[in-house]
Parts: sequence; C-alpha cells; structure tokens
Amino acid sequence: MSIHPFITIKELEEKLAKKEITREEILEFYLRRFEAFDKDIGSALEIFDKASILHNSNTQDGELFGIPGLIKDNICQEGRITSCASKILENFVATYDATAITRLKKAGALLIGRANMDEFAMGSSTETSAFQKTHNPWDLTCVPGGSSGGSAAAVAAGLVPWALGSETGGSVNQPSALCGIVGLKPTYGLISRYGLVAYGSSVDQIGIMARTVYDNARVLSVIAGKDSNDASMQQTDKKNYTQNLTGILPKNIRIGVVSNALHAEGVEPEIVSAIETALKIFEQQGASIKHIKIPTLDYAAATYFILSRAEAASNLARFDGVRYGLRNKKAQTLSKMYCATRHDGFGEEVRARILVGNYVLSAGHAAQFYNNAKKVQRLMSHEFKQAFADVDVLVMPVHPAPAFKFGAFANDKLKMDLQDYFTCAMNLAGIPSLSLPCGISSNNMPIGLQIAGPHLSEELLYQVGHAFQQKTDWHTKPPAGY
Amino acid sequence: MTQPITKEEIEKIARLSHIELSETEIIAAMQHVGAVLSYAARVQEIAQDVNIPSLKNSNIEREDIVIPCNSETILAQAPEREENFFVVPVIIEGQ
Repeated sequence: MSIHPFITIKELEEKLAKKEITREEILEFYLRRFEAFDKDIGSALEIFDKASILHNSNTQDGELFGIPGLIKDNICQEGRITSCASKILENFVATYDATAITRLKKAGALLIGRANMDEFAMGSSTETSAFQKTHNPWDLTCVPGGSSGGSAAAVAAGLVPWALGSETGGSVNQPSALCGIVGLKPTYGLISRYGLVAYGSSVDQIGIMARTVYDNARVLSVIAGKDSNDASMQQTDKKNYTQNLTGILPKNIRIGVVSNALHAEGVEPEIVSAIETALKIFEQQGASIKHIKIPTLDYAAATYFILSRAEAASNLARFDGVRYGLRNKKAQTLSKMYCATRHDGFGEEVRARILVGNYVLSAGHAAQFYNNAKKVQRLMSHEFKQAFADVDVLVMPVHPAPAFKFGAFANDKLKMDLQDYFTCAMNLAGIPSLSLPCGISSNNMPIGLQIAGPHLSEELLYQVGHAFQQKTDWHTKPPAGY
Repeated sequence: MTQPITKEEIEKIARLSHIELSETEIIAAMQHVGAVLSYAARVQEIAQDVNIPSLKNSNIEREDIVIPCNSETILAQAPEREENFFVVPVIIEGQ
C-alpha cells in the first residue's frame, strides 16, 4: 500500500479501482495521520472509532466510496455529538442525519469525525470555540481562519482529502484561503440545510473544502440538489459537476475584476500582486479582463453584521435548557433558569451577537438598522445582477492579509468581524463563490483568490478554477512538516 | 468611536434576550456591541427604496407524511424529565 498524504480523491479512486488498496487501509492511514499531527493542529473535536465509521457508510460502492472526510460540528450526524463548539450543546447527540450526511453515507464516504469551529459558526479565527484552538498548519502560531477553521486545517495538513464547512459571511472561503485550499460557498439553496444548525437562515449554506477544484466538485456532485426536507432550496436536480472540467478556460470568458475590492484600504500589496498575476494567467488563456466597481460592496460588512445578528438572535432563542443541552440547575424559577443557562452556555461572542441582533430588531431601532440593511441587500443583489450582464465571473480577494496570530484582534473585535469584508457580499446576494490558492506570501503563508458568479454558476466557477490549477501549482504545495 | 449604546440599553436587551450578565460583562458588552453598531450604522448612507423587481420566490410544499419517531431518543436529551415530560423549575414566581 502506498498513499501520499496529499493524494487527491481522484487518485485514491484509481487505486481503489485497481484494487491496490482497500477502504479499510485508506481509513487506517488517515486515522494514523490524525493521531500523529492533530495534537499540534487541533482540527478535530472528535475522531470516531474505526468500526463505526466503516459501519455507517455504504459498504459496497458509491461516488465517494472509501474516501474519508471531516464534518464541521454544526452538521448533524445521527448518534454523534453535534456541539457547534459550544458549551450549551456540549453533550447534545444528533437524533437524525443532515441530508448532506445521508447522501455522503450513501455515496460510501467515510465520515471520520467532527471538525472544530467558531462557536455557532460565529467568528473568523476558530478562537471562539468553547473547547480548543485550531492552529494553522502553515504556521502553528497563526489561526486557520474561521469559522470552519477545523475543516480547513485538516484538509491543508493532509489529514483528510475533503471536509464540509458552512458559510454565512465567509466561513468557508476565508479559512480555505488562509490555509491554502479550495473552498466553495455554493448558491443559496443548492445544498440542503436540513440538519445544519441555523445561524443566519436567509444566508447559511453548507460549503465544501478540498485541495483541488476537481475534488471539490466531486463532493458537490454528491450532496447538491433538491431535498423535500428543506423548503428554501433551488429546485435543481442532481448533477455531475466534474464532467465538463476539461482544464481549458471557457472560450471568450469575460472576467470582471472588482477594483473597489482589489484596491480597498488595508489590502496588502502581496495580495494585490498575487491576484494580478492570476489575472495575467487567465488573460494568457484567452480571457478578457474588465475592471468594474460594485459600490455597495463597501457596505456589505455593515449590512451583514445587522442581518446575520438579527437572524442569529431568533435562531438561538431555542437554546434555553429545557429540552436538550446545558441547564443551569441552581436557578429556582423558569425565567431565571433561561437567563442563567444562556449566560453559562454561550461564549462572549455569541452573547454579543444575540444582543446586537435583538437591538437592531427592537421597535426603536429596526428602522435605522434592520430595515435599512434589507434595502442595501436588495441594492447589492441588483448590482451583482447588472455586473453579470457584462462579465461572466468576478474576481477579487478573499482576505486582506495572510493568516494572523492568535489574539491579534482580542482588543479590537470589530477588526476581526471585518475579516468577512470581501466574502459576505456573495452571501447576501446568494451567489456562489470559489476560493483557491494563488500565491504564498513572503512570510510563507497562503494567499487566496475569490471567483464569484451568478446564481447556480458552480460549474462555470469550477471550470475557471480547474483551468487555473492546470497552469499553476499553488495547490500542490502543502505546508512543510506533514 | 462614538458610544451609541448605554448601560441601561444593554441591560434591557440582555433581559429581552434572556441572558444574564454580570456588571463586568455589561461594561464589556457596551463596548463590543457599541463598536458593531457604530460601524453598521453606515447602511443609512445608501439605503433607499428602489423599484427593483424582487426575486420570484414560490412556495415549495410537500406531502404531510407522518414519520414514526421514538420519543425516547428525544427525551433522553432532556436535562431533567419525568416519564414522558420535560421538567422545568417553577414557572410563576413567588409560589
């Protein structure tokens, strides 16, 4: 048996098909890698036992037969804890599988554990997890980004070939970029949210993380498509997102560079230059490049802060210590029990987001905040729609600077929140975006490129990203030491 | 940065949110929540009513099918239970 830790899903499948390797051996290999490296990285909250992993999955065949993956801990796996990295759900055991999980199991994927995350997906560094830190495999003194930081770090360090995350403002693409992997935040409604713990329901999406565009598309092909358990879905049928990945850039493709993002205040010169180099590569392959402006983008973070917190305040009202999860047992009355439980169970960031949410929704302030944010969201969607009349895809940064140190924003939480600056607009407009590695900084940290497209343009984004990866080798450069 | 939120407002919102906060936590929340709100207030600068056709959403319905469920698996998660019920502390204070 021979497996390279950074082997792709495609290569693993070829080995399985030639019977060079069994799914048990693949699983054993990756379980050993977690044992060897995850003490330092801290990507997983739990790795399951080998027998139950094998037992829970299709034992015969499937599109991801024998391919291990890690699941963000806000996606329900029946019989497993789903903690959302929060004390309030520390011992909560999921009573059913999320639709994405049902489809992965049926496809033969091996779901090997639960990935660490920011508590309830609220954060950009995975530091708000109530349980542990996750370290960036490129530099253990840096964060992996967040909120899907555990998923990103595990894929980047070659502990699994793919992982699921979730995104509301940037939680798949930002950690993917900071860890040097490929992240997809799909169109709102492409992947069922049945079994995903809700944060901001009008934007939440499950997202996919892998090391290559091709592998990312493989996983989407398994989990995308309509589901009667999620009424907010696009009514799309199952589709193979890899079948048109020729490696050649679509003919006459028009790429729009969002200049007010690329040249926004605070974007490091190295990031700008990596993206400009990427644009030259696209141009050499026949793309036409147009510089455009999306003026509302400068208001996306503010809009996102309001809408996401408002929705979080209502979604998190269900955690009250009555039916499941933590309960403060000292409180003598029901109302005191609610208040004490929610104080003890939620971390500081989650509490602050609930407070902001209820403030912007309250009678005296909704007009100034919530109602205005809804108007801006509509303007933003319209601007994107107009942009896509002129160009096929948009290119911009994912993040203003490479991964930062732990505690960097401890005294300026607003700065941490602004990590979502370049990603939250796509979420608010419900459009898909793909992030992929396009460079390495002078301090040896990955730099990401964001490609966004109109609703349901995932196949096009993958074609563009896959063509880029045929001309570049950033995705084949793993962090040292793994 | 301006401080758009007072201690009383934080206390009121915390009460509405069913979250108990200590004095220190209230002070920290004033700063944290205040910073987010100060930044978010910029949406007023460009918010306007526009005549943009909204996305054509349609209701998606499904058959109402009863799926058998073992209530035991649900009740097993309860912090406190008695037979088939969730147990909570006294509801009406002063009883």
